[in-house]
Amino acid sequence: MSKEREKLISDAVEKAIAGDMDAINNIEDRVVRSKAKAALAKAKRLQKDGSSPDADLSGSDVPTVSNAPSENPNRMFGDRINQKFPGSLDGDLKDTHIQLKPDQWNDIAIWLKTEDDMLFDSLQCITGMDMGEDILEARYNLHSMKYRFAIEIRIAIPKNKAEIPSIEQVWRIGDWFERETYDMYGISFSGHTDLRRILLPDDWEGWPLRKDYEVQETYHGIVVPKVKEGWE
Amino acid sequence: MGIVHGQEMVLNIGPQHPSTHGVLRLQVRTDGEIISEIKPFIGYLHRCFEKHSENVTYEQVIPFTDRCDYLASMANNFGYVVAMEELMDIKVPERVEFIRVIMGELQRIASHLLALGVYGLDVGAFTPFLHMFRDRERILDIFEMTCGARLLYNYMWVGGLSHDLPVGFMDVTYNFLDYFEPKIGEFNDLLSHNKIFVERTADVGVLPPDVAISYGVSGPNLRASGVKWDIRKDEPYSIYDRFDFDVPIGEGIKGSVGDCWDRYYVRMLEMMESVKILRQALSQIPKDGDVHQTIPKKIRPPKGSIYKRTETPRGDLGYYIVSDGSPVPYRVKMRSPAFTALSVLGEIANGWMMSDVIAILGSLDIVLGEIDR
Repeated sequence: MSKEREKLISDAVEKAIAGDMDAINNIEDRVVRSKAKAALAKAKRLQKDGSSPDADLSGSDVPTVSNAPSENPNRMFGDRINQKFPGSLDGDLKDTHIQLKPDQWNDIAIWLKTEDDMLFDSLQCITGMDMGEDILEARYNLHSMKYRFAIEIRIAIPKNKAEIPSIEQVWRIGDWFERETYDMYGISFSGHTDLRRILLPDDWEGWPLRKDYEVQETYHGIVVPKVKEGWE
Repeated sequence: MGIVHGQEMVLNIGPQHPSTHGVLRLQVRTDGEIISEIKPFIGYLHRCFEKHSENVTYEQVIPFTDRCDYLASMANNFGYVVAMEELMDIKVPERVEFIRVIMGELQRIASHLLALGVYGLDVGAFTPFLHMFRDRERILDIFEMTCGARLLYNYMWVGGLSHDLPVGFMDVTYNFLDYFEPKIGEFNDLLSHNKIFVERTADVGVLPPDVAISYGVSGPNLRASGVKWDIRKDEPYSIYDRFDFDVPIGEGIKGSVGDCWDRYYVRMLEMMESVKILRQALSQIPKDGDVHQTIPKKIRPPKGSIYKRTETPRGDLGYYIVSDGSPVPYRVKMRSPAFTALSVLGEIANGWMMSDVIAILGSLDIVLGEIDR
């Protein structure tokens, strides 16, 4: 990256931290803008000093209450997961989601699906997320057809060791959802029986939805056209 | 004598094949005509919807949603704007809600007509296809009259609509409903109870409810398996809780619950329910109100994320939208119903004949534009 670009990014990030998000949003070059956003996320994370990586994206305003019984399904089931699998929660309970560590995820998934008073039998969606410079996240939206509960589970992992236990055999749709997340973010789901790209060609390079993805210049000798100026 | 095993071979269907409903490639392992394994390969129509969305503003995502499920664009718009409005906490005027429901239900009829007509084609019935296309054309005319487009509408905007209803819309739509209602009986005579059609579809490709739920199958395909689940009823969005309608489920009239015929017939019954909703909506819609009133000048949702799903003709369409407070989405993920429906094909098509696989695939009503996004 050239000096000029770096300076542009650091200036924009400084302004954004001061409250002026336009400084970043007005950057015309798409790649630079996404880099600036990643740098901003990192800077904010450092500022907050070890708080959870998505603190700047969501849930940060929600006050955390520890282990108080509550109507909110994310709190209620987060609490129960914590009792059944001590040490599996990553951070405090929140209203919006349950943040888990990856280690026991497969066991938790089986338990959530089969426990008689929850029966989360429907995996709605797996969303991959690039949280900033070196954190990736997978978000699972679960739904119980019988009791009509809906919860969201998030698992954050570092980019250099992007590995989450697969739940392919728990919810069968997990197979394709995990392949899609792998395809776009390069998160490898350990234990998946057939983990390969699903939407992109098998020989595609890079993980397109990561924020630091740079479009390849050629593909099988075909020149990839540059994004035109003034696209937006 | 037990089963005699012959030599297995691997065959390729598609990606350019009329009965795969788009650019889908199926790799099948067969022993003679009997399928022992089937693997779908997708991605031939991947247009980077999610990547594009991260580079355009929130309003500019809407035309992309049109192009995902190009047979039910209104429903895709609807899901996106409902999710955005919940994220931004916008309440839209009554008239807008009514118009959206009217468009959503017209779209459902149009989409089902195409699905059923093409399904007839798949199993060898040509005439019903022409009848259903003729009637679908009338709905497209109504859409054209409303917003100028016949397929990709960009009609529903965050906080409102692009246009109000045109003069004469009510008459045209009432006329259409009066014309269309008796036609359903005609379709039933032509196709539903046709002996050849029933033999091709009844008891074929049975999808048990637990498998359907595990594979995330939704919408008419799930209801055909006997699960009474409709987001319009069970998690009402917009103003669906005000209308009186039934949720038809598969009853195994011709064969067993969850077979191809049930999946076909549930769609037929759903069109009747849509007509019911349309009649109620048309009679209750407020006469005046500005459809542009609540469209925000600049769309900047607060930081946060939302997962919201709506019922499209193909099932649960979910949008996962993450906002970082800027006018450009941080992440838009689309959970498409056809994607999950296709994933179950490998499970239910095993052991059937080659021609049955085409019948099973057609009954799932997939749209490749939405699978590949």
